[in-house]
Amino acid sequence: MTGPSKPFLNLGRRRFLQGVGLAGAAGLVGMPFGRAFAAEPEKPKEIIVRAWGGSWVDSLKKGVSDPFTEATGIAVRHDLTEDNEIQPKVWAAVAQKRVPPIHINWDTTTNATKSALRGVTEDLSDLSNLANVTELAKPVGLDGYPIVNTYGYVYVLAYRPSAFPDGAPKSWKDLLDPKLKGRIALYNDGIGFHFPAQVAGGGKLEDIPDNMQAAWDFIAKIKEQEPLLGEDPDFTAWFQKGEIDAACTISTNAREAKANGVDIAWTVPEEGAKYDTDGLWIPKGLPENELYWAKQYINFAITKDAQQVWLDGLGLPGVVPGVNPPADLVGDPSYPTTEADFKKLIRISSKVQVEHESEWFGKFKEIMQG
Amino acid sequence: MKGDRSKAVTLWGFVIAALVMLSAPTLVVLGASFTAGNMITFPPEGLSLKWYAAIAGATDLRDAFFRSAIVATICTAISIPTGTLAGIALAKYRVRFAAGVQIYLLLPFTVPLIGSGIGLMLIFGKWGLLGQLWPVGIACAVINLPFMIWAVTASAAGLDPDLELAAANCGAPPLSTFLAVTVPAVTPGIITGALLMFILALNEFLVSLLLVDARIVTLPVQIYNSIRSIITPDLAAISVVFIAVAAIAIALLDWLVGLDIFLKSK
Amino acid sequence: MRPSRTSYPLSWRLMDAVEAVAAAVWPRSFSAAVPWLMLMPAVVLVGLLVLGLWDMADGSFRTLDTATFLPSDDYSLANYDRAFTEKLFFTVASRSLIGSLIVTVITLVFAFPYSYVMVRTRSAALRKFLLIALFLPFFIGQVVRAYGWLIILGSQGMVNEALGLVGVAPIRLLYNYPAVLFGLVQYMLPFAVLMLAPALTAIPEEMESAAGSLGANWVRTFIHVVLPLAKPGFIGAGLVVMTLSLTDFAIPAILGGGSQDFIANAIYDQFFRTSDQGMGATLALLLVAVGSIMVGVVFALFGAGTLAMGRSK
Repeated sequence: MTGPSKPFLNLGRRRFLQGVGLAGAAGLVGMPFGRAFAAEPEKPKEIIVRAWGGSWVDSLKKGVSDPFTEATGIAVRHDLTEDNEIQPKVWAAVAQKRVPPIHINWDTTTNATKSALRGVTEDLSDLSNLANVTELAKPVGLDGYPIVNTYGYVYVLAYRPSAFPDGAPKSWKDLLDPKLKGRIALYNDGIGFHFPAQVAGGGKLEDIPDNMQAAWDFIAKIKEQEPLLGEDPDFTAWFQKGEIDAACTISTNAREAKANGVDIAWTVPEEGAKYDTDGLWIPKGLPENELYWAKQYINFAITKDAQQVWLDGLGLPGVVPGVNPPADLVGDPSYPTTEADFKKLIRISSKVQVEHESEWFGKFKEIMQG
Repeated sequence: MKGDRSKAVTLWGFVIAALVMLSAPTLVVLGASFTAGNMITFPPEGLSLKWYAAIAGATDLRDAFFRSAIVATICTAISIPTGTLAGIALAKYRVRFAAGVQIYLLLPFTVPLIGSGIGLMLIFGKWGLLGQLWPVGIACAVINLPFMIWAVTASAAGLDPDLELAAANCGAPPLSTFLAVTVPAVTPGIITGALLMFILALNEFLVSLLLVDARIVTLPVQIYNSIRSIITPDLAAISVVFIAVAAIAIALLDWLVGLDIFLKSK
Repeated sequence: MRPSRTSYPLSWRLMDAVEAVAAAVWPRSFSAAVPWLMLMPAVVLVGLLVLGLWDMADGSFRTLDTATFLPSDDYSLANYDRAFTEKLFFTVASRSLIGSLIVTVITLVFAFPYSYVMVRTRSAALRKFLLIALFLPFFIGQVVRAYGWLIILGSQGMVNEALGLVGVAPIRLLYNYPAVLFGLVQYMLPFAVLMLAPALTAIPEEMESAAGSLGANWVRTFIHVVLPLAKPGFIGAGLVVMTLSLTDFAIPAILGGGSQDFIANAIYDQFFRTSDQGMGATLALLLVAVGSIMVGVVFALFGAGTLAMGRSK
């Protein structure tokens, strides 16, 4: 009854060793094309990086993957499975001692922290370029570097300018305006909205996670507004087709919608907006040489050159000093650079988030499904 | 006759309503694929083939399509004999615990797809089978098997025990009776079921998502994972091409076997 | 060359050989086992699913420790307790149960006339057209199809624009419970039609004309002749629609606007959003139990024994 029984464990191990052998052979074949140094482990033919689709993968490819391939000769394949959906696949692979389906996971820090706590991540403390990164790159509340954070992002209040003739909404409470009934959208699990709701409902951020009644009261009021709940493509479609006038969403997606001709702007209201990070990590169970090259990929992703191109595409602030913001985002609240910018944002440690997230999601759902 | 008229009006009322329900979104998407704009809109903003040009060079889509076709073929090849035998067994014989067997065989529908996907991922993972296409084909056969079984049982009214007896009395051995009398009687069900199995496997998403890796993604997985923040008309264009390819396949099948015979009443 | 002994063709001789092999490995005395042998491949195939469920059943008795994101070592009924006491699960469970019943009835009402016309029409072209119209929607895929519905039924969609022309203010047609039910009906319709068609094909047309010549109008003919004879088809179609809509995930997610979740959406959330695989497994197993009970009830009410017309004579 308890998970994989012994014979399967052995099978898993044998397959693992076979995998090493195969990968080694592939590396040999690839040798003449790369500049193989004696000290370097054999190069795999390709590595697989999980990424989000659309402009997300395009910018990663341009900024990190393509230059990496150019420098090493190792092809990069992108797996576009959602971060939530790859998680059980990777966890099952590690539990069954199989070679995981991906080499690198580009993940939200919250989800990555869950994987780190579960012990399925490789330690990345020995990456040489960690010497040059800001404090943001280090995961909070975890030992070493099971994840390397690569940039921060803001859950902004995106709105349709024509629906707000008096200018940008100043407060999250503006969403309670009767004329917005049925015309606002939040993420399915309310992610990004719990913390500003705590402030808007009159509560204190210090009370998170112990007393979040203020947040639930405010969310119950929002429920009266009959909000739509969805994911990023839903928000864009709803803005495009005139279903909604405001949404709590990640700035990158609002920016991409704008680039595609949707009438949309965004702001950080007075209560603040959730600020969080994404990162890169490597699942356990890879053959030695593939692990080495996967680490090199992440090491490259935190160089200034890679970050400049990658994050230009995403419109997000990175973890290496001296990266220039894209022209359209200079001074934008979704691209915090100064102390004053960060003061307006709400950052809660990943550890608190992962420990309480399922409880918050459940509570949010209960209010919204009622 | 007045009665015939009211019958035709009633029937056609339902049929037209059903046709609108089935086809309206499809037609809108088909039309939208020819838009010159950057959004899926109907009527399209000007006509162009630019979204077709955008997907023309995508070899990854073509590879994914062929993988989906392989998965669908494996799924159909497994489910035809499996479902036909089970369907005939249930229809023809008085099986003990028949209700229990039926409930068991309906598990693929009572288990939510996410549960099936996770469960099969764990099982195939344990056996070291992941990373190949054929387990995905098996998975598609498992999750849709009731369609095949029920299509066969539903056509079992065509089974005539007297005819089988007659064949046996004339000295036909059991296997011949089975192949020459029993199977042809349920052929309409087999063809309906097989067509459905093939098309569903071709379009299967959630379970495949959990069983494939980046090297062997199937078309639906490829398409839906590529959406992150915006739905662009290239997805409509892909759908149109997909439909065209399927239409050619169905036309070919029609030409070879004749789709018409299996639905026409006797 | 000597002419062959008789005109006994090769295929016959081949068949004889196969029969001989079959008779050797499968003597007549085994005949009681025949139906079970025929069921065996299907039982094995579905058995894969049962093995998966078995794995998940173990997890359902373990709670998630959010300090390590590992399932607990000890067993408890905590997940089941949550499933039966938390209001959220009760809400989504009752919504999906009631929804699946409504959807089944409406779908069958639409599927029968469609199937009937498709089977009975004398025009081969019309028959093919009706058949292809059933299959087309599958190729668009759920996400793009939902976008199509948004264009048609959205607040600024085609229907609301048409209503606007006659002075009706825009109504929200999508993202509520009726929209989910509508979405399920149109998604299930092809399955129901295809399940009904073979059953209708098997009803001889002469039986209907016979009833007609005896003075029954078409409604009475339908009620007393066609519907009873099509019963296996109705049971099959009804079960398929009921179980599939009970466990559907995509339609409530896409057309419900996020506030009309079914059980499968709650299961998805547990597996993929909160990483609580034990809770997800618990809900999945309970859903399987409920679905199987409903199937059992259908059999008890309508009788599994009537499935095969040929047998019940």
